[in-house]
Amino acid sequence: MVSPLADTSIGTGYDLSNSVFSPDGRNFQVEYAVKAVENGGTAVGIRCKDGVVLALEKLVTSRLLKAGANKRISTIDRNIGVVSSGLLPDGRHFVSRARDEAASWRSMYKAPIPSSALANRMGSYVQAYTLYSSVRPFGVTAIVAGWDSEAELPVDGQVGAGPKVGSGGKKEGQKHGGPFLYMIEPSGLYWGYYGAATGKGRQIAKSELEKLNLADGELSLEEGVKEAARIIYVAHDDNKDKEFELEMTWISSLSGPTKGRHEEVPKELREEAEKLAKKSLDDDEDEEEEKMEE
Amino acid sequence: MATGMLGEDGIHIDMNHLKKGEVNLGTSIMAINFKDGVILGADSRTTTGAYIANRVTDKLTQVHDTIWCCRSGSAADTQAVADIVHYHLGTYGITNDEAPTTQTAAAIFQELCYENKDQLSAGMIIAGYDHRHGGQVYSIPLGGSLHKQAYAIGGSGSTYIYGYCDANWRENMTEADGIGFVKGALQEAIKWDGSSGGVIRMVVLTAQGAQRHLYLPDQGYAGPGSQ
Amino acid sequence: MNHLPQAWGRPRDDVYGAYDHSHFQTSGPIQHTQSPIVTGTSVVAAKFKDGVVIAADNLASYGSLARFTDVKRLRKFNDQVVVGFGGDVSDMQYLDRLLNSLDIRENYSSSETALNAKNLHTYLAKVMYKRRSDFNPLWNHLLIAGLDGEDKPFLASADLLGTTFTSPTLATGFGAHLAQPILRRTLPDDASVEDVDQETAVKLVKEAMKVLFYRDARSMDRYSIAVITKTGVELHEDEKLENQSWQFAEQIRGYGTQVN
Repeated sequence: MVSPLADTSIGTGYDLSNSVFSPDGRNFQVEYAVKAVENGGTAVGIRCKDGVVLALEKLVTSRLLKAGANKRISTIDRNIGVVSSGLLPDGRHFVSRARDEAASWRSMYKAPIPSSALANRMGSYVQAYTLYSSVRPFGVTAIVAGWDSEAELPVDGQVGAGPKVGSGGKKEGQKHGGPFLYMIEPSGLYWGYYGAATGKGRQIAKSELEKLNLADGELSLEEGVKEAARIIYVAHDDNKDKEFELEMTWISSLSGPTKGRHEEVPKELREEAEKLAKKSLDDDEDEEEEKMEE
Repeated sequence: MATGMLGEDGIHIDMNHLKKGEVNLGTSIMAINFKDGVILGADSRTTTGAYIANRVTDKLTQVHDTIWCCRSGSAADTQAVADIVHYHLGTYGITNDEAPTTQTAAAIFQELCYENKDQLSAGMIIAGYDHRHGGQVYSIPLGGSLHKQAYAIGGSGSTYIYGYCDANWRENMTEADGIGFVKGALQEAIKWDGSSGGVIRMVVLTAQGAQRHLYLPDQGYAGPGSQ
Repeated sequence: MNHLPQAWGRPRDDVYGAYDHSHFQTSGPIQHTQSPIVTGTSVVAAKFKDGVVIAADNLASYGSLARFTDVKRLRKFNDQVVVGFGGDVSDMQYLDRLLNSLDIRENYSSSETALNAKNLHTYLAKVMYKRRSDFNPLWNHLLIAGLDGEDKPFLASADLLGTTFTSPTLATGFGAHLAQPILRRTLPDDASVEDVDQETAVKLVKEAMKVLFYRDARSMDRYSIAVITKTGVELHEDEKLENQSWQFAEQIRGYGTQVN
């Protein structure tokens, strides 16, 4: 039933429940969930040629919180990380479910879950929360970053190694695994991306990501870390939010710095990236000032 | 006849009695790696005690396009396990838009054999080919452990050919040499093991797909060969 | 007989009374088997002043058949713990996967300190005891070697009943009878650990492995050995027994009085 009280709002009563379409085919609850995301700190992900970077503008909501504590980017399986914008507890639940999915894949197939399969399962999970009147959609957009191993993985627990000369009949020169990046929205919609951004500063962040020509696959992981830091600083709105912490994680190839694992970007590298980010902001401001002088 | 299946109370089925009458694949099975993939081989004898219940059994079972297994132990148990794995791999291929690897098959076989070890008597060899990993051979003996091997032998007849296989094994054989190795080994197993016999069946798994072979005792196991 | 398939082949209700469906289930409590099938033999280990040495051969037996000769029974958990497995290989693989999932869960947060050998021993002992209390034991005898919370050498065992032990030297299976007395000659008590350096401990454990190869009919001459110290884990998985003594066989003639 359509509540008369709701008539004043833009949803004209069709926004009170999940699982009810408006006459023009919209699910207002999902759209409101997107609004919740738009208020969250900016999160970005960059798929580089030899790894993936996740970065987050963690807005400091209280001076009573310990700096550097309360990490927001989570590890799902050894090789997969997730960052989200929007309602924090919803993000926590998303992470918890993703970990369960990864563990359940492992118990069934005795191998790490491929990034694509995790994104698919989480997409389905989030979508299910748009179908029932008894639940509300997720108030988060999540960015999932993974490195699928380029090596031949054993079955978990197996012993023995097969022929000393290696397996016969392999197709040589073919590449397997590599970096992956997905973004999952409150509707359950997900795509694979070269660069993904969500939260408050997503528009600015996206236009910055586009400038990187990520589809060419030229950007190195270390450059990616610096770009991610810079983009978070560029997208940060000084007028509205005073303080923020930059949180960054990365996953490299097996031969790279994290050996295929999802880890925090080391402090030194992060600080260097932040220094460069601040410097580039200052340079931009100088340029603008010069222009004003003209 | 039917009363023989009933337990002491004359009403309920005596499961232990049924179990004893179970059809067993007292068998010789093997699988090997070679230059272009893998070869599976098996004899064709199925026995109930000393009676040969089937003399032309096919113990080489397909669970996906180029992932196969050799079955030894209880015929009923190994068929049930292979059917379940067949189902899972079919589902995997469709839901993940990508063919399962031999590792995936081995993992599912192992889980079933390990978690149900109390109920099962199943000794399996899994061999498969995929473009990423090439040919691979895994052995899952009775307790449900998983062993990756260059070549694997199993079944009651295998105990007679450990020496033959160790002495004649070479890595990276050609297909012809691989077939010769499997055939030579299985001939010895059939010769010495009363529970093995009949024809020799083989399956060759390569980038070209699966190819069956058959070798008959009345032709001295010389042919007819590839089917 | 009626039209219901579940009644087919069963006694008629009007003659025997209604069918008692509880009989359709397997009668009595659930029973797990268990006897080990594919098995690994002894694991031996000894402490020294800076850490622990642990070794196990690479054989998995199937009864008396030396079935798999490339089975690595030492598992590195992290930079300060190695677990050695004796007993059933399928249960060893289960525990390997369990430790894998434990490690994944431990690394959800990067800030906490890694689990040390003492922590892992507590965990594994509880797993073993839980399973024996379910009448479904994991058929293994484990040695957990590494460093404790104070970076001191740690060595303890947990068996299929959940029994635990700690000692400067430990050995499972046949090793408990054959290797332990040899190890104790050098390491009789806790105090003696301080007097033993890495080289001595490694030599001692290798000597024990040699005696086990001589006298354990389920052993082989290829083995794995690991040394755990503050600098990390040094694991070798394909060592061969050296300096064996067989030459004296030429002195042996007959079994008593025979001289030729």
